[in-house]
Amino acid sequence: MPQLALTEAVFYILLSLQKPLHGYGIIQNVGELSHGRVKLAAGTLYGALNSLVEKGWIDALPENPESRKKEYVITASGLNVLKEELARLSELVDNGKRLLGGN
Amino acid sequence: MRRVVHKLFWIWQLEKEQAWVNEMASHGYSLEHAGRFRFEFDETEPDKYIYKEIFLKGWGESAENIKYFRFLEEMGIKVVCYINYPGTCWVYTRALKKDYPDGIELYSDIDSKITYQKVMAWYMVLVIVLTLAGGLLNLWMALFNGYRFLPLNFICAVLLLALCAAAIVAEIRNLVKLSKLKKERKLHE
Repeated sequence: MPQLALTEAVFYILLSLQKPLHGYGIIQNVGELSHGRVKLAAGTLYGALNSLVEKGWIDALPENPESRKKEYVITASGLNVLKEELARLSELVDNGKRLLGGN
Repeated sequence: MRRVVHKLFWIWQLEKEQAWVNEMASHGYSLEHAGRFRFEFDETEPDKYIYKEIFLKGWGESAENIKYFRFLEEMGIKVVCYINYPGTCWVYTRALKKDYPDGIELYSDIDSKITYQKVMAWYMVLVIVLTLAGGLLNLWMALFNGYRFLPLNFICAVLLLALCAAAIVAEIRNLVKLSKLKKERKLHE
């Protein structure tokens, strides 16, 4: 069965977690990647991180006792999902450009 | 200096209460503690904080909510206090206004907004059932007890049924919001 489309938030979270980041770092990174267009809210991010850990697409790293901030990083399975989503999005963009005549 | 204000907000007046707490903050009174009808403010510089009130499943002390509160603190959002209700809690959070100039938004996608609205809608069902059952029971005791008219039970019945009617209006608003979000979800994230 083909993978269902990821939400924009999940796509950007997975993209951000190629290096370990804590929640606030993810929000900042997503903001930078999307040039300020995507603003993740704290409650949405919290729910998404819990679901992604449950699915095994990201791992929660052991807590740093100094900062007490939990960091997360993408897993091999999460990376596969991200690559499949990228292929799906490329298909959308290619078809859009072909039929609308844009480049 | 601490200032105590007694004010009544019903459970469906969350937005109205939040607007009032933020107005107090804009005048230099930061909320430090809230009870069901009692609000305690400290004098602070005007517009230092911005407040957001949220409804969560489970009591404030539950392990899941404590984890969530810690996460919010990492985001610069502090839980000031919370009030427990059966199966849920009403949470007062705040952040520095310079960090959240447009207000604290906890949900940025439609799915999270739908989930939140569903919690509100289900809780309101509970309020409606309880007030309706209490109102009808008191009405029956006042009018049909087989002995004499009981004015105290009649007053209780009128108050509870009035509360029930207000809760039904609030629930209709909730369901309209939920329906709009679900329609929107069919087209957008």
